[in-house]
Amino acid sequence: MNHPIILSCTLLSAVLLFPLMVLGVDYEKEIKPLLLERCVVCHGSGKQEGDLRLDAGSLILESVVVPGEIEQSELISRVVSLDEDSRMPPEGARLSERQIELLRSWIDDGAIVPKDEVIPRPPSEHWSFQPIRQSAIPKVKDKTWGRNEIDAFVLAKLESEGFSTQPQASQNDLLRRVYLDLIGLPPSIKEQSDFSKSGDLDRVITDLLSRPEYGERWARHWLDVVRYADSNGYERDAEKPFVWRYRDYVINALNNDKPFDRFVLEQLAGDELPDRSVETQIATGFLRLGHWDDEPADPLADRYDQLDDIVSTTGQAFLGLTIGCARCHDHKFEPLSSSDYYSLVAVFNPLERPRKGRTEQTVTVDDTEIYAWREPSAKAPPTHILKRGSPTNLGDRVEPAVPAILVHKQPSFPEPSSTTTQRRLGLAQWMVSDSNPLTARVIVNRVWQQHFGQGLVNTANDFGIMGAPPSDPELLDWLAHWFMHDANWSMKKLHTLILESRTWRMVKSQESMMRYRRLEVEAIRDSMLFVSGQLNRKQFGPAMKPRIPVAVLEANSDKEKIWQASDEREASRRSIYVFIKRGLIVPMFETLDLADTVSSCPQRQITTVATQALSLFNGEFTQRQARYFAAKLRDEVGEDSQKQVQLAWQTALCREPTSIELKQMTEFLENESLEELCRVILNLNEFVYPE
Amino acid sequence: MSRFLPNRTACGQTRREFLWQAGGGFAGLALADIMATEAVAASSDSEKQPHFPAKAKHCIFLFMNGGPSQVDTFDHKPALAKYDGQSYSGDVEVGSNSRPIGHLMKSPFEFQKHGQSGLEISNLFPHLAQHADDLCVIRSMHSDTAAHASGCLQMNTGSIFIGKPCLGSWLSYGLGTENENLPSFVVMTDPRGGPIGSASNWSAGYMPASHQGTLFRSGGTPLLNLATPEGTTERTQRQSLDLLKSLNEEHLQTRSGDSELLARIESYELAYRMQSEALDVVDLDKTDVATREMYGLDQPLTADFGRKCLITKRLIQNGVRFIQLYSGGGHQEDTWDGHSDCITNHKTHAGETDKPIAALIADLKRSGLWEDTLLVWGGEFGRTPTSEGVDKPGRDHDWHGFSMWIAGAGVKGGQAIGATDELGFKAVEDRCHVSDLHATILHLMGIDHTRLSYPHQGLNQRLTGVEERHIIQKALT
Repeated sequence: MNHPIILSCTLLSAVLLFPLMVLGVDYEKEIKPLLLERCVVCHGSGKQEGDLRLDAGSLILESVVVPGEIEQSELISRVVSLDEDSRMPPEGARLSERQIELLRSWIDDGAIVPKDEVIPRPPSEHWSFQPIRQSAIPKVKDKTWGRNEIDAFVLAKLESEGFSTQPQASQNDLLRRVYLDLIGLPPSIKEQSDFSKSGDLDRVITDLLSRPEYGERWARHWLDVVRYADSNGYERDAEKPFVWRYRDYVINALNNDKPFDRFVLEQLAGDELPDRSVETQIATGFLRLGHWDDEPADPLADRYDQLDDIVSTTGQAFLGLTIGCARCHDHKFEPLSSSDYYSLVAVFNPLERPRKGRTEQTVTVDDTEIYAWREPSAKAPPTHILKRGSPTNLGDRVEPAVPAILVHKQPSFPEPSSTTTQRRLGLAQWMVSDSNPLTARVIVNRVWQQHFGQGLVNTANDFGIMGAPPSDPELLDWLAHWFMHDANWSMKKLHTLILESRTWRMVKSQESMMRYRRLEVEAIRDSMLFVSGQLNRKQFGPAMKPRIPVAVLEANSDKEKIWQASDEREASRRSIYVFIKRGLIVPMFETLDLADTVSSCPQRQITTVATQALSLFNGEFTQRQARYFAAKLRDEVGEDSQKQVQLAWQTALCREPTSIELKQMTEFLENESLEELCRVILNLNEFVYPE
Repeated sequence: MSRFLPNRTACGQTRREFLWQAGGGFAGLALADIMATEAVAASSDSEKQPHFPAKAKHCIFLFMNGGPSQVDTFDHKPALAKYDGQSYSGDVEVGSNSRPIGHLMKSPFEFQKHGQSGLEISNLFPHLAQHADDLCVIRSMHSDTAAHASGCLQMNTGSIFIGKPCLGSWLSYGLGTENENLPSFVVMTDPRGGPIGSASNWSAGYMPASHQGTLFRSGGTPLLNLATPEGTTERTQRQSLDLLKSLNEEHLQTRSGDSELLARIESYELAYRMQSEALDVVDLDKTDVATREMYGLDQPLTADFGRKCLITKRLIQNGVRFIQLYSGGGHQEDTWDGHSDCITNHKTHAGETDKPIAALIADLKRSGLWEDTLLVWGGEFGRTPTSEGVDKPGRDHDWHGFSMWIAGAGVKGGQAIGATDELGFKAVEDRCHVSDLHATILHLMGIDHTRLSYPHQGLNQRLTGVEERHIIQKALT
């Protein structure tokens, strides 16, 4: 225990300081965060102004701190200096009295720093900024277990760490798992029985990947990443006209196994491609999916807010970089400068939103109305760095460029064409080139995350320094390299590789790479519709609106007009066709953790709260599906309660009930209705947490 | 132990922190409990520790939707009478959406000094005026926008953009829930409709959905899907829940390590308990006549808001953290948005709310809840001291200066802080931005606004944003 410290306050005259009762200042808790917040941007692994680094204790002790000697520690003299030119930090508020006293106390106590503190490496050495290498496939002791390269990486690591593999899940479990994973629907009774005869899961995978339902399932994952919604938000929350064509484009792209590099090119620059078509121009709807206030508080700032939406989303979706943080100043934690940010703004700055006053307009291409931006001229407007992000505080002019940390040499952007600046094309071409280390890693990780419940990198939108490190870096690089060079960016090949691995076929448990993860609300709802026999398979076109309870509509300023519900048949289509209105999310979707509709969502949140139970147990939707489900069971097996239970279980869970389960349910049916039983089944943990 | 223990989740938190946050809100007790043994900020119950001892445990936000006029309520401007009918030539930007600008218009309402403090309040609020010594009026509020949608968003989330968590979400995230059988963040809207921007105003934004505001109705079934479905008896409901529980528990037996599965089982029981507790709160049948009269339940004008105020008090009593009541809903004259006739408009909306709010204050005091409860009153902005168009007693939006009041726990009542200019257009003394008010509310709830953050898109996001904000020190006891 230390004595209270009375400061000899030579430089801070006139300021009354109360000594802190300090029980030893903790470097990790008190000092490091302060230095990180105020000093490390300029004195860290990224920049070393004055050749000084303050991002590790050992470096601090080598330079500006003498333990126990406050007077000799330049750290103190610089932060308390009365000379404006030498006082640190040079920008922002001065350190508070409390902060200065913390530093003094820490030094006075001997400037204790942890011995094992890692000195941050220069950002240029960060793993994800390195070229993607083709990792060597590791040797394994057990030659019998693995089926493919993924297994080799996983097994080698298990063997080296002395862990054993998990057993393979049962055939029934695997069948339900692969159906829900790839198409978001459980297998029918007939499909179950076909599979029990063949036992050929690889064939099932091939079959599912060829079904239209695959695109409808996996498009939604991409829509999460690109902040998709059908309306703009704010007062009018107006519908984005024909935006659904973009959603259909994504479904088709997946079903046709459009190579992912082409998918990137089309979304960023589908109007600038030499072989552009209506389809590729629909793809650029990506750029216009953001929220938009048609009555902005500050029109000039609003323009940059819209560009920020595009730059931020592009950065996260394709590069896994939080570039948006460099809008007002150099990124505090990443090697991304304001210049990097505004160079990307310069790429999109030529875009204009087609509108007449508050009303948005579409672009017409070959008689098709498209929801996209317009690039009206091949001459780009000048783009400047905005100091502190202020649109009236112009800094240096910038030209299109990619983040400097990612390249040794800037890619050359194409010359303007006769109609557009071709800047987006330049960016997109670099993104899908070998010289970009991020895009392939980022998408491979997204796909892995969806199949396993967690990514190899757990921060799917952030591969930067603040992001999580990869759990299996060699595997990730091998996959990314394979995806680009051997699979030619084919998503279906990537799915097949992952799903045929033994790794993916392990049982789920806390110890396994396969985790229990609740189905997304879309898959829950679609599975209910499928089980009840009500699923309307109609594809594509304008979004539909399921009924919303009056109690919810009443809380809107436009309660009579805000939501014109579709009829039940139309509303029984798959959930990807549900209208996403930013100001009024269908309650069941909102409660069950629909993706954020405003910014890119790297992974669905999973909350477990009572309102979800209310929605799924008492809500009208489940009630109805339970009734249809019961009617279907009666149709097929009549009034024999044992047969009803068996069929219900098989339909919903793809397995026979155990004798205990069977007994409980038949007893239940002695007093309660089949509809009630169906309601219970649709609420089971097993129904929403696939094996 | 697993070799695949994740390092971080999507937002750069540990999985444990993530689950804690995911479960820590509305009725997330089960999950929170499971995580609590190692949770950093968590105590063993679902309440979390504030940064420092809180003055207030609960907060009631009386949202006067549409924007009440400061010069007709709490900001007396004698100069307006002097210049009444003259055109305005000052430099404050007047009006919104290119609406017509008329002449300076004096307030038709009389101001009087009330209580020992002599706080000036217009005669729109005769009942509230009896509590003048409890009110801390802030006459120097200002915001960044002239539009309702972005204005409501800013008042609720600190940002003019959609997609951000609300004040109530931040409190739920920061402080957890006191009573897992009720939501920690409750919203009650006006029978004429909700605020412009609807659910964006009680959204949890980028936070988990468990922190979003829960719509609560003052009659019938207070929460969505709370009632046992029509045609299902209570006995059947219980039998079904029992079967569900039993089947789920069997399923869990071989998967006992999984906390999410267990939490989901618990959530159905919580929902069941919520049913009885929430229904009790809105059951006012046993309320005595004197209380009903006090809240104005016996008068058509005040019955709806009175009922909500009474339920609010009961929710507070039951441990709900943050309650937001909307006065006014839909558009224009159905709200405080008195564009065409601010006089009639304000008489209506003040008339509906004055008596119930005064009753709520009295009742909180009577029940011993006053010392724990913070009240906030105001709209998304104020109204211009000019009329809107000549000879029309309407007033347009004024976001440069307007009045709000706070009262209750930790608040020094009987005073007015700050001032607008001579005519009431713009805050000129002790200017108080909406985010300063948020910082002050958090402070009173025991939270340092600079330290309450949520990681999103590479930044530690805060309710009060990145600019320097100030706690309104003069307002504190």
